[in-house]
Amino acid sequence: MDPMSASVELRDVSVDGILYDVNLTIAADETVALIGRSGAGKTTALRTMNGLVRPSGGEVFVDGTALASTDLIALRRHTGYIIQGVGLFPHRSVYDNVATVPRLLGWPEERIRAAASDMMRDIGIPLERFGTRRPSLLSGGEQQRVGIARAMIAGPALLLCDEPFGALDPIVRRELQDVFIAMRSGVTIVFVTHDLGEALRVCERVVLLDAGRIVSDTPALNFTSEPEPLAQQFVAAARL
Amino acid sequence: MNDILRATGQHIVIVAIAVAAATVAGVPLGIWCTRRTATARAVLRAVDVIQTIPSLALFGFLIPIPFIGGIGPRTAIVALILYSLLPIVRNTLTGIRGVDRNVREAGVAMGLTARQLLFDVELPLAMPTIVAGVRIATVIAIGVATIAAAIGGGGLGDLIFRGVAMVDTRLILAGAIPAALLAIAADVLLTFAERAILKTWG
Amino acid sequence: MGMSRRRGALIVAVILFIGACAKRPAVVVGSKNFTESVLLGELLAQKLENAGCRADRRLNLGGTLVCDAAIRSGSLDAYVEYSGTALTAILHQPLLHSREEVSAAVAREYAKRGLHWGPNLGFNDTFAMIVRRGSGLRTISDLKRVEATYQPGFGYEFAERPDGWRGLLRRYGLVFAKPPRTMDLGLTYKALASNQVDLIAGNSTDGLIDSLGLEVLEDDRHYFPPYDAAIVYRSNMDQKCSAALDSLAGSIDDATMRRLNFEVDGRHRDVGDVVREFLRPR
Repeated sequence: MDPMSASVELRDVSVDGILYDVNLTIAADETVALIGRSGAGKTTALRTMNGLVRPSGGEVFVDGTALASTDLIALRRHTGYIIQGVGLFPHRSVYDNVATVPRLLGWPEERIRAAASDMMRDIGIPLERFGTRRPSLLSGGEQQRVGIARAMIAGPALLLCDEPFGALDPIVRRELQDVFIAMRSGVTIVFVTHDLGEALRVCERVVLLDAGRIVSDTPALNFTSEPEPLAQQFVAAARL
Repeated sequence: MNDILRATGQHIVIVAIAVAAATVAGVPLGIWCTRRTATARAVLRAVDVIQTIPSLALFGFLIPIPFIGGIGPRTAIVALILYSLLPIVRNTLTGIRGVDRNVREAGVAMGLTARQLLFDVELPLAMPTIVAGVRIATVIAIGVATIAAAIGGGGLGDLIFRGVAMVDTRLILAGAIPAALLAIAADVLLTFAERAILKTWG
Repeated sequence: MGMSRRRGALIVAVILFIGACAKRPAVVVGSKNFTESVLLGELLAQKLENAGCRADRRLNLGGTLVCDAAIRSGSLDAYVEYSGTALTAILHQPLLHSREEVSAAVAREYAKRGLHWGPNLGFNDTFAMIVRRGSGLRTISDLKRVEATYQPGFGYEFAERPDGWRGLLRRYGLVFAKPPRTMDLGLTYKALASNQVDLIAGNSTDGLIDSLGLEVLEDDRHYFPPYDAAIVYRSNMDQKCSAALDSLAGSIDDATMRRLNFEVDGRHRDVGDVVREFLRPR
């Protein structure tokens, strides 16, 4: 397990029609929120960080290495990815889902079992109760907990989250944010959301995107006093 | 009665060989199509056109072709393979394309190679749809195989044609009823298989 | 008579005229589904048309029993049948071997069914057991030598008819190891020529026997009855039309039939053209 978290840098990154000359540097261990209106390019920016989207201009660096010249498969096995739709493999058990990346990395089965047991307990879905269940029989909240376990079990250096709690009810959302906060040390996190409250709760730094460009980049504590008009609209809309 | 059993045996054999071959050829072809849209369009159109050729005409076309043609079961099998391709290729394509976008995205993002994604995620999830395609192909093949008798291919169509020549309804039914029963049996068995697969997903 | 009355009378006259024309007798002519039968059916049709009768063609219908069922029910008015076939396959009577006896018996039975069994056209088309040249076989009895290895291939009728393959096996005491492959009759020649079958049941007047390098085995035990071709037509046929058909008696011998068959099967000429040429006064 690699205890080092990774830094991420987007240098003059453009994606045709979506992002324009985005420059963003994220230090190791930071927890950064990417917020903005729908269509601002937050998800696209996120997906350049694990190579799911190839920029049409500029370069992306993870831990100093350009993605264009790196083995993306290896990179992805050390990058956690949590999305709104979760994307659990329906034909596999919960345990098999969680064990996916460790198996790809060649961990011995006992080690996987131990890690899964610990992680799933911490997330609130104990292995003994949930291990053999099929994903389709779980509630939305339980499924996303499995999603978190699956993304975190191998100790990734970087964790990318795309509105992970967007489809869940407010109470479950709150619970999962707490789980998240408890787990966030030791890994660099980029968290896309359009819920300002969530961003301020979970992250230390907030980057605001509009129409493919960064319009503000402040520590979370300072966001409510950020003069940028769009930021103020967000604050007003969130009634903070 | 012996005749009926022999004809049924022949019928099952040519259908089984043809559908198996069409599956072995059609599933990879379908997979290939998911990767390339231009190819997919061309392949689907070709297979569609084959489907529209009346069976007796197709048998007739194949007879003069060396190696695969001639009179007998081999030509019949070739024709049946061609007819079985459409359901199988199309269902493979649909099945794989139908895999949940989120599941595919999560798989790629976790670092599965293209091969791992295909064999561990896409194919297993597409399997019920593919089996449905095989089922449809089998039922069609059982019907078309009755025409094989016109070109010496044997099978239950033989009894039907003899019955027609002799204006003997009993003989016609001796061929037609087992053929219908075969089709129903194949349909039921393969639907069972589809459901069994779905059940393992819980 | 006023303008409108004159027009009314004209219309009535036209209708009656059309009606009268439509009443010209139409003879429905059928045939079985092999070349010779189609040629003969076309011959009947053209002969009728030359005599001023209307002919409706239903050629390539199916086998013997389909045609028989059709003419008995009145869907057909005329077609060409073979005496031996009529005797055994249709009437289910025991075999006779003198040609006159066969024809007389058939004519008698047919008359009882309201059908007229016409005079012979002049040729005998018997079943021919055919093999490839160079097989070393001369008679049907010789087949005993190859009964374990030869693959027979027949059309549906010969395979199924009691006076076909089954009767032949019994008569010659043969036991073939391989059951016959059945297929559309027209394909059997091709199958034999391309070594996919070794023995077929063709017709003695077929056009392709020589051209494909095939040989007819002699029926040394006289299993097959005579198959004299004759026109069968419904007894209630219009006099003018039936006379036209009767005039065809004795107009085709074995060699001529073989030649006509070859024109179509070997030289791929149109059936209508071949018949027209045949009927042209020389």
